[in-house]
Amino acid sequence: MLSRTADNLYWLSRYVERAEYLARILEATQRLTALPLAYSGTTNEWESAVSTAGCVNAFFAAFNEANEETVTEFLAFSPANPSSIRNCFEVARTNARAVRTALTMEMWDAINGGWHEIKRFGGAGATREELAQFLRLVQECSLRFDGSAYRTMLRNDAYWFSRLGVFIERADNTARILDVKYHLLLPVEARVGGPLDYFQWAAILRSVSALTSYHWVYRESLKPWLIADLLILNDQMPRSLASCYQNLVQNLDYIARAYGRQGAAQRQARKVRTRLENSRMDDVFQGGLHEFIGEFVVDNNQLGTTISQQYLV
Amino acid sequence: MRIRISHESIYRYAAPVAGVIQTLRLTPRNHDGQYVVFWRIDISEDCRLDHHEDAFGNITHTFTAEGSFTELGVTVDGEVETQDTHGIVRGAIERFPPSLFLRETALTRPDTAILTFAREARAAARDDTLALLHSMTERLHREIVFDPDPTHTATTAAESFAMRRGVCQDLSHIFICAARSLDIPARYVGGYFHRADGVIQQEAGHAWAEAFVPDIGWVGFDPANGISPTDQHVRVAIGLDYLGASPVRGARKGGGTEALTVTIHVDQAAGQMQN
Repeated sequence: MLSRTADNLYWLSRYVERAEYLARILEATQRLTALPLAYSGTTNEWESAVSTAGCVNAFFAAFNEANEETVTEFLAFSPANPSSIRNCFEVARTNARAVRTALTMEMWDAINGGWHEIKRFGGAGATREELAQFLRLVQECSLRFDGSAYRTMLRNDAYWFSRLGVFIERADNTARILDVKYHLLLPVEARVGGPLDYFQWAAILRSVSALTSYHWVYRESLKPWLIADLLILNDQMPRSLASCYQNLVQNLDYIARAYGRQGAAQRQARKVRTRLENSRMDDVFQGGLHEFIGEFVVDNNQLGTTISQQYLV
Repeated sequence: MRIRISHESIYRYAAPVAGVIQTLRLTPRNHDGQYVVFWRIDISEDCRLDHHEDAFGNITHTFTAEGSFTELGVTVDGEVETQDTHGIVRGAIERFPPSLFLRETALTRPDTAILTFAREARAAARDDTLALLHSMTERLHREIVFDPDPTHTATTAAESFAMRRGVCQDLSHIFICAARSLDIPARYVGGYFHRADGVIQQEAGHAWAEAFVPDIGWVGFDPANGISPTDQHVRVAIGLDYLGASPVRGARKGGGTEALTVTIHVDQAAGQMQN
């Protein structure tokens, strides 16, 4: 397979995954800000949504204030933001078109049809109703695309590269939510979680659709350290860091086996996975949750770069 | 290197047994030098295989098989991808501070001969811990004849040292015992060894030792081969001595005499290159 093809497949999946993540963030933030003022305290949820999306500088270059209108515009529609949902889909579709023959009919339909619907939305004066519709549509497109890939693609290097894109992006997204919200997850002695905390925690879980899973796993009320455990170390949870790395290691392994050679990407992925597998939440908190996640983000980016160097250029 | 391992133990009993209970320490874990691609344990009787972790962080499986039967097979099958880390063990699970591994056990109690051996090695190496450990590995490899006949699983370090004969287990015990007598934390490692000479079928697993070297951490030493572990070694379990890391421990009810046949295959999996 040409490096260029692998590169397109990888970025196609990454952009679709990123668009879905942004839609989830916007939805969770909307829900959180809909609470009565007494609950929402002094934090600006919209600003925190921008930092979770990792584009604070670009945002404040374009807008002065983070509120519902500006943040929605910037994260969902803005042509000036290279990672707005709209741009993500546009880039995803461009990538898909470049490798049209490497995709199945269903995948192409999902991404092309999705893009045509998505581009109808936007512009000033979108109501909350419309925005909600839009966010739903984005998540459905992503599901349809992912499902088509899962159901129709040959299990060869094309599939494995597209999976790498999904899981690198997903790990990055989960880590970024944790990074922005980590102060909420720190165990404080004798702290009674107020209603604000409760809603914040629920919002974290909702943004990775893990609220129900949480109750299945722990069978108790929301505890911040358990949330951290679920999103970092629990490999049953599809958006946890551990699960993303389990998948990354496996797909890199398939690629290595098919090509008969392996290199830095495999080693790096295995190293991170081993670290996640051999960690316990107590030790993570002891060493600092923030530091742990910070290192993870660096390691994950490093893996992205290594994959690019080894396969995509 | 991608190493393919299959390890089959078949127990044959003279009379039907009423029940068998076993704890298996047969599953490797990942660390920086190895990655388990897949691993499977199969028991020939219907039973539940419970997954646990022991105090050292080794993965254990326990099962209880209800009789009656006259033959029991425990089969392990897996593939591990290894990298040469020059014997340095990083990224492994450490549940205890190194000083715990100064504890003496019945199998690793030093006698005067081993104490003298350790002191001589230290005198020659001066203050260099790493050089000291390497010289002990080399001396044991040179001076102790590899011979499975006179020793058995309960042979102590002192007995084997006195005979100047033993297998990898005995050499590791002597090494551990000598290191601990010099206040260097040391532990026993059970695992598999891929032989470079092309011998694939083996009758027993492999064993070596790890010692804690300041500023470096845990470093492996394989006195049976006179080297530090390379990508030919697959690390499965650690313990204070053989008993703590032993692959199978168990008990049974009835059955009369028991005959155990162990077949281990350690081979390189489908050719792969590193780039």
